[in-house]
Amino acid sequence: MSPLPSPGPRGFSRRTLLAASAAGLALVAAGCTSSPPDERERVTGEQADQLLGQVGVQETLVAAFTAAGAADPALAGEVAELAAQAGAQLERLRDAAPGATPSSSSPGTPPSPAEARPWLRAQVAAAATSHATACVNQSGARAALLGSISAGLRGQDGRLA
Amino acid sequence: MADEGEGSQDLAAENDALGLALAAEHAAVWGYGVVGAALAAGDRGTATSAEAAHRDVRDSLIRLLSQRSVEPAAAEGAYALPFPVLSPTDAAALAVVLEDGTAAAWVRVLDQAAERGTRELAVEALTGAEVRAVGWRTTAGQNPVTRALPGLPPQ
Repeated sequence: MSPLPSPGPRGFSRRTLLAASAAGLALVAAGCTSSPPDERERVTGEQADQLLGQVGVQETLVAAFTAAGAADPALAGEVAELAAQAGAQLERLRDAAPGATPSSSSPGTPPSPAEARPWLRAQVAAAATSHATACVNQSGARAALLGSISAGLRGQDGRLA
Repeated sequence: MADEGEGSQDLAAENDALGLALAAEHAAVWGYGVVGAALAAGDRGTATSAEAAHRDVRDSLIRLLSQRSVEPAAAEGAYALPFPVLSPTDAAALAVVLEDGTAAAWVRVLDQAAERGTRELAVEALTGAEVRAVGWRTTAGQNPVTRALPGLPPQ
């Protein structure tokens, strides 16, 4: 199949990747938006508390990766990348939630090595649902971050199936 | 209706972001035609399902913007491909680009949204895009196949 000729200024990159451009999304990453100082970035006490709660949810998930890996060392190697991503998500959440401090939250342990994988998958799915629910109650960069984390975990869920 | 204390200016920003998401969805619908054409007949089902999902989201966006008296942007007649699509692997890589593009657009909607219902729509669309992208990254031989923060640029 031959590549389609570029239609010139109506190009794919100008239309689709406009939305995907680092320039556009850098606004999201920086937690600032194109609107004036912004209702979306004003955080209520309830929203701040909920965001702290999501830090706890993610800490529990990171602990679950550790517990699943301890129960099934072969699984630990297989999911190392997923565990690293969960850790990166936790760091971004902590950055977004001033005052969040690491807490000891235990997800429990898998019932057996053979059950480690489905147990971990359930933990990932539960965290994804929790972040998605919290996302719609937040706004601005916090909503964007929680939605992104939730989607990333749904992708992990599929990998663990 | 916008959340309490938020005004028409916020809804305008939300509508702008929804317009960008619509542009991304138009391009995805078009792009999946290219993806499907480059796949073997027996492998086209996934592309067909993905295209249908994007059509559904696109139609939801058009209805939403029309209800707000915002003229929804029409699809372009054609789009320039970011690279030649000459094989099933190229097709999968293009599908990744399409899904990543829509994911980024929906993250921006989340950032700009004033209404809870819009965030619900956005997180659902974003999740669908990332789940599909995981499958296409696998097919394309990309690694890693999952993303910690789909739609957000690296820090």
